[in-house]
Amino acid sequence: MATAAGAGYADARAVTRRAQHVATKNGEVESVSDGETEGIGVRVLVEGAWGFACDRRLSDEGAQDAAQRAVAFARASAGRAGRRAVELVPAPAETGEYRTPAKRDPVDVPLSEKVELCLRAEGAMKHEDVKITEATLRAQREHRAFRSSEGADVYQEFVECGGGIDALAIRDGRVQLRSYPSAHGGSSSQSGWEYVEGLDLPGQAPRVGEEAAALLRADPCPSGTTTVVLDSEQMVLQVHESVGHPTELDRVYGTEAAYAGTSFLKPGDLGSLRYGSDLMNITADSTTPGGLGTFAFDDEGVPAGRQPVVETGVLRGFLSSRETASMIGAGHGGSMRADGWSRMPLVRMTNLHLEPGEGSFEDVLGDVDDGIFMCTNKSWSIDDKRLNFQFGTQIAWEIKSGALGRMLRDATYMGVTPVFWSGLDAVAGPDEWELYGLTNCGKGQPGQHAHVSHGTSAGRFRNVQVGVRDV
Amino acid sequence: MTSDGRALELAERAWRAAEADEADAVVQVEESGFARFAGSEVHQPTLISDETITLRVVRGGRVGCAVTNRTDDEGLRETARRAAEAADSAPPDPGYPGLQPPSAVPDVSGYDEETAALTPEEQAAAAAQAIEASPEYGLYGYFTSGVTETAVASSTGHAVSQRMTDASVLAIAASDDSSGYAEATSWKTGDLDPAACAREAAEKAARTRGATEIAPGTHAAVLEPYAFSELLWYFGFSSLGALSCLEGRSYLSGRLGERLFDESFTLVDDGLDPEGMPKAFDLEGVPKQRVTIVEDGVTKDVVWDRRTAKRAADGHESTGHALSAPAQGFGPLPLNLSVRGGDVPAAELPERVGDGIYVTRLHYLGVVDPREGIITGMTRDGTFKIEGGKVTKPLVNLRFTTSFPKLVEDILGLSEEVVLVNRSDFYDERYPFGTRVPAVATNAFTIVSTGSGPGL
Repeated sequence: MATAAGAGYADARAVTRRAQHVATKNGEVESVSDGETEGIGVRVLVEGAWGFACDRRLSDEGAQDAAQRAVAFARASAGRAGRRAVELVPAPAETGEYRTPAKRDPVDVPLSEKVELCLRAEGAMKHEDVKITEATLRAQREHRAFRSSEGADVYQEFVECGGGIDALAIRDGRVQLRSYPSAHGGSSSQSGWEYVEGLDLPGQAPRVGEEAAALLRADPCPSGTTTVVLDSEQMVLQVHESVGHPTELDRVYGTEAAYAGTSFLKPGDLGSLRYGSDLMNITADSTTPGGLGTFAFDDEGVPAGRQPVVETGVLRGFLSSRETASMIGAGHGGSMRADGWSRMPLVRMTNLHLEPGEGSFEDVLGDVDDGIFMCTNKSWSIDDKRLNFQFGTQIAWEIKSGALGRMLRDATYMGVTPVFWSGLDAVAGPDEWELYGLTNCGKGQPGQHAHVSHGTSAGRFRNVQVGVRDV
Repeated sequence: MTSDGRALELAERAWRAAEADEADAVVQVEESGFARFAGSEVHQPTLISDETITLRVVRGGRVGCAVTNRTDDEGLRETARRAAEAADSAPPDPGYPGLQPPSAVPDVSGYDEETAALTPEEQAAAAAQAIEASPEYGLYGYFTSGVTETAVASSTGHAVSQRMTDASVLAIAASDDSSGYAEATSWKTGDLDPAACAREAAEKAARTRGATEIAPGTHAAVLEPYAFSELLWYFGFSSLGALSCLEGRSYLSGRLGERLFDESFTLVDDGLDPEGMPKAFDLEGVPKQRVTIVEDGVTKDVVWDRRTAKRAADGHESTGHALSAPAQGFGPLPLNLSVRGGDVPAAELPERVGDGIYVTRLHYLGVVDPREGIITGMTRDGTFKIEGGKVTKPLVNLRFTTSFPKLVEDILGLSEEVVLVNRSDFYDERYPFGTRVPAVATNAFTIVSTGSGPGL
């Protein structure tokens, strides 16, 4: 339909998504919801200009209406003469199927079992000073069919699940939060329910509650310049914000300037820019088992793969689409992802990892005479070019002579991306490497959420400014 | 375009499909167009058509929700089955406040035929107007408009609906070393001038080349409405809802009734204001009320939904600020914040500052400490030095980590002009909202480091 209406290229994604969410708070059920959405999104190129339209009706009529509207909007949007005509790097017309390996489909796990698990985990966080306990679990199943005018024909089924617990301690006007396994809704994986069972939320809950309460009496993080060790969970945030987003090639070309921002990187930096120390190795891998960014084909039909982004501290790759790969003359895309059926695919992170180094966590601490160990993200902010950042963590400990000392609250640190990464002088080894999945990565106008994963180990950074806050 | 009554009819069909002691359904219908541009070319033109039904059922005191966009009878039956299963999976909910009884909702404006009738071609043309008005800079932003209809119907007999329109234009005029920002939003597209918005951004950009640094520290500052609106919104969602206040997480917890801010600072949440993005009711059908949050510097109240009002058990009632049922864990939120304007022409605010900084807009805010109202972020697309009461040299982007309460405790002046600033990033279902704020001059804006220069 789209090509008949004048599109030189067209693709369509039909998507059905089922998403369950359970939340409990202070021993009571806060929300049990079971949602579904379905529809088709049609993307077209007309005379070198994009158009996209969607329709909730999964029918011939819905598809045809979306195609016609996409073509009309592309034609209307083409604008002035002389505009850059979109070109796509060639891609084979892929066909194939993919299904998330799962022992137990998380959506089929009874909601009552999910509620019971939340309540049990919450109950184990009880402490005199913990005034609010929360537990959340999520499960999702998505079917995605992709076809293009070039002959691609792909069908994929994904399941995800995850969750987390939070304890909020309050006393004398002071408020402190601890979370597990991650802040901001926990962690998720593209896996069966066995992932959630492996998190052992009830088993971790007593520690979470006790740490939240202990933070009320902890000293504040001092200000100054010191050595910082980040745990793997805070390292996730560090990788996501200061490496993932700036290496999205659409940001490099400015197409995200109006919202999420641009990048300090330029196309010519590829292969030469010193991003960090020799210990910095970052890989984009859309084949990682359990990764939320794992697939067989992205939302342009490009096959999954593994590529270096930073090798021994040097920029080696960008996250790209067929369009942006054509613009830079390198790569073949493979990072295009859309939030459901009603949004146009964008360049997004898939799974972006900090490759492990050597040794244990204790080895990382070992060379620190005086420093701070920071765990679990609490707040984050970074500038539009992804250079100047300030991140805060839920909990910290001082490091004295290679060992952890007193607990510290309200820890923050600040830096400039390549300067900060140049201070990386230790990354813990494969035994410390953990995979986290987050579901709140925002980008695009209209806004889109992406689900992405990061595997990281704890890392040590020298000469970091810490304890920055207005008091 | 949505048809009048479509949403209410769907909501009625949805709750009637439920097998429950009581049930309500919220329907959100959307037809929208988004002409997003970068480098002066439209690159993400997006047309969205959707209908979302959120069904909440109560069975034996147990509450469950299901969401769908399948509107045929089979889709509604399946949704009712899933909602019942969700309810049956939970223990009884002692905090459940019951459904809204039949009640009249205020007659608000917020629907404009001209805006509703905009075609994709006209949306693209509006984007083109902006682009053509900034020939000297690449333009980055969007023109968007939409027509939405929200309806709530329930087994109590309550049935309300509202059709709304919204239109926004956003423009960043930028080159490698300069950038300026402007935006405009309204429920009437006739209020918008995309070309004027682009020119405002370009004129701002032209003054940002050659940016220099400034020493960190607490500075006097003028914040344009774009910047003030964003700070206020972050403070609002972390501190101005009843749940955070009841739980002791809010800056206002235990501080209601106190004189905390400058007496020139009066803050309301007013969904009924025709100059804002009017709403007749919230997402559980409760009529919207105008809530005075701060009056002449004295804290008065926060915003409430039915659940927090029941929990407080102190005579409070819902003020019409509930989110949709699956999201009510966030508590009620003030989506229509409005700060009373002052007595200073905006152009004269720098004189109140003397020496300080001038901030056009902010970027990527984060709440560092909600209990103390401390927020961090960056300035962007138009930061300048104020010297001798005049806006002078451009500055690089600045990282601030500042106390919002201190900022409005030490106000030097508020502009006469009050501007509606869009606060929706258009995630999920379209539900336009914004804040109405003046520009503010303050004695307390804390810069902690300097960043990169303006521009791409």
